[in-house]
Amino acid sequence: MYLEEHGEIQERFPHMWCGCSMSRLESLPFYHAYPGARVLTIGTSSCNMSCRYCSNAYVAKEDPAWQQSGMAEYSAKELVRLAEKLECHAIVFNVNEPTVSLLSLEELAVEARRAGLPMGCLTNGYMTEEGTERLARIFSFVNVAIKGLSDDFCRQFLGIPTVDSILRNIRALARTHHLEITTPIIQGVNDRDIDAIAGFLASVDPEIPWHVFRLLPEHDMKESEYPSIDGINQALQSARQRLPYVYFHNFVGSDWVNTLCPGCGVEVIERFSLGCGGDRLSKYHCEDGRCPKCRTPIRIHGERIAWGTKRAVTR
Amino acid sequence: MGNQESGDPMSLAIVDAREWQRVLDLETGQKVERDGPVLQMMKGVLQRHPYPGDTAAGSGAWVTDTALDLIEQYDPGFVSLSYAHLYFSARFMSVSEVERKAMVLGLFEEIARFVKASGFTPVVLGTGGMTPLVDVIDLSRLDGLALCTLWSARYCGLHGPSDQDMDAVARHPWVERIVARQEFLTLFGGTATDGLRLPDFILVSRPGYGFKAAGVPLRRTVNVSAPSFSIPLHQGLGEVRSLTEICGLIEREIGNRRIALIHVEGVGESEFPWPYTPCSNGREWYYYEPSEAQYLAATTGKHQVFAFPVGARLFDDDSENEPYPFSGYFNRVPDGTVGQRLSVRSMAVGNRSMFPHMVYGADVSIECFARNLYNQGCTGVIHRDDKA
Repeated sequence: MYLEEHGEIQERFPHMWCGCSMSRLESLPFYHAYPGARVLTIGTSSCNMSCRYCSNAYVAKEDPAWQQSGMAEYSAKELVRLAEKLECHAIVFNVNEPTVSLLSLEELAVEARRAGLPMGCLTNGYMTEEGTERLARIFSFVNVAIKGLSDDFCRQFLGIPTVDSILRNIRALARTHHLEITTPIIQGVNDRDIDAIAGFLASVDPEIPWHVFRLLPEHDMKESEYPSIDGINQALQSARQRLPYVYFHNFVGSDWVNTLCPGCGVEVIERFSLGCGGDRLSKYHCEDGRCPKCRTPIRIHGERIAWGTKRAVTR
Repeated sequence: MGNQESGDPMSLAIVDAREWQRVLDLETGQKVERDGPVLQMMKGVLQRHPYPGDTAAGSGAWVTDTALDLIEQYDPGFVSLSYAHLYFSARFMSVSEVERKAMVLGLFEEIARFVKASGFTPVVLGTGGMTPLVDVIDLSRLDGLALCTLWSARYCGLHGPSDQDMDAVARHPWVERIVARQEFLTLFGGTATDGLRLPDFILVSRPGYGFKAAGVPLRRTVNVSAPSFSIPLHQGLGEVRSLTEICGLIEREIGNRRIALIHVEGVGESEFPWPYTPCSNGREWYYYEPSEAQYLAATTGKHQVFAFPVGARLFDDDSENEPYPFSGYFNRVPDGTVGQRLSVRSMAVGNRSMFPHMVYGADVSIECFARNLYNQGCTGVIHRDDKA
């Protein structure tokens, strides 16, 4: 959140953080970055979209001024120090939207880089080109949500006029960054976009990992029906022919969280799905970033790092 | 423990994400192919009772309805229930006194409905009341690591503090007590091994205060546990003075009647609407907040402060191959729980997620699968199905 003062843009609540906690990188989700890593998860307050099904509405949709007393004030150095005390391997912004706190995040990135801690984020991707460039300088791995493609959907469910800028930003980030994509599916609303989104990803880079979520009804849609797992899974069949890394989860016990080798089809990374309670790495079979059977390269950003390893990842 | 029906010593988990079920090995989390009458029965009960959510009005009724259905199918001699709706609602939602009173009475009507319909003799334990959060003790900028775990508000672990940290917490007006590791070990007769997982110091907040530290829930807390040195126990079976005597009472009486041990979270002596006797809920200055440790103390007959120590770096115990991935911080099935000790059939139902299937030791159990109030469905567990 920003304000203009004396002709300058300033952050309303700089260095005020929520959710300073630990998580597995898989649970955020990042399936193809630093497999197994322990990360410090952080957030701030507010958002630049208005999703009807926001799962973190108690942070993103509340008045930021009201929230401040519950938040922690950490300088960039202090936050990096906290990550080190918790023996985290990376820092990930995952609660609300990073573009509302770019100034604090830019300072944090300097300190994190100095400490050898890579930074990642989840974002809705709704920002200007300049915003994307600034975001790209902060984070080395990014998960962008493509929530739907039609203007009607964007207006009705997200509170934005069109998805165009998001797609533009994805193309830009894909050229320079490790990128994963997440799409929550609302049955009967945006499931018809599945093939079109797959087509878009194939045109940008077919190896971008794609997390298709069964929508967990929250916020204004709390009373909605839970989407059919079998129905969505069927709808993904065609996408799986075009994209090697399609995952379907956000519900406990999902069968579709393992990475299959695009060359020979064997399982090269196995995971558990605890739904939104957090996914986790189970077995990592890659050798030197390749399938152990047919040696096909598996896209992985950074090294595999076990949860209990007491050292930071170096980039 | 083991699922004798399938011929191997495996506890089964059935995850039900609404209209979609999978059967897993509880220990490894891997999908397994199994079948049998008890498994089919559990699948049916899960399917008939979708969970409405931790703070939904029908959450208490879900426990009663699911329990009555499971009793009809499984015919147990011992039942464990946990009703956690009041705790979750009060922790994160602000309700008026009138609304709160109605919620408490409504929940006890549900319990009464269960007792009447099932015919079980109830042993009802309120796990402690709630009080508004007045303010928080900000420990976010200490040199050492301040860590709250398991949603605790009264206790915070302090790891590797500097001298300045100790000065700051000692001077803080809302810190009631600073407990060194050895002092805590001595209080509960812990061993050196027990001490390995404890923080260097446990900080205790004054009533109504919590901490701002690593590990606190992301959702904004509205109420925290009220002072609960004793908690209310409703039962007519015999004298019980402490939480740790409940298990023995049930063991002694189960030959004479069918018994239901019922945990009601978030209710203390001042709100408990049924006749009760006070039951000690800890030792000296320490009392349990609603947690795995409090449940285990009641179901094993022993204090369990070292099984899940407050403020500990529990996450350091974790690893990729840690067993029981669906069971929170449990990495083994605890020994000596009441369900294990009884020869009669046992079952558990609760809208506490993650640990009822561990702490009660029941043959079969059904609980919600919710994390941080996100409602993902339910889990059924079959530890054994070989009791006549």
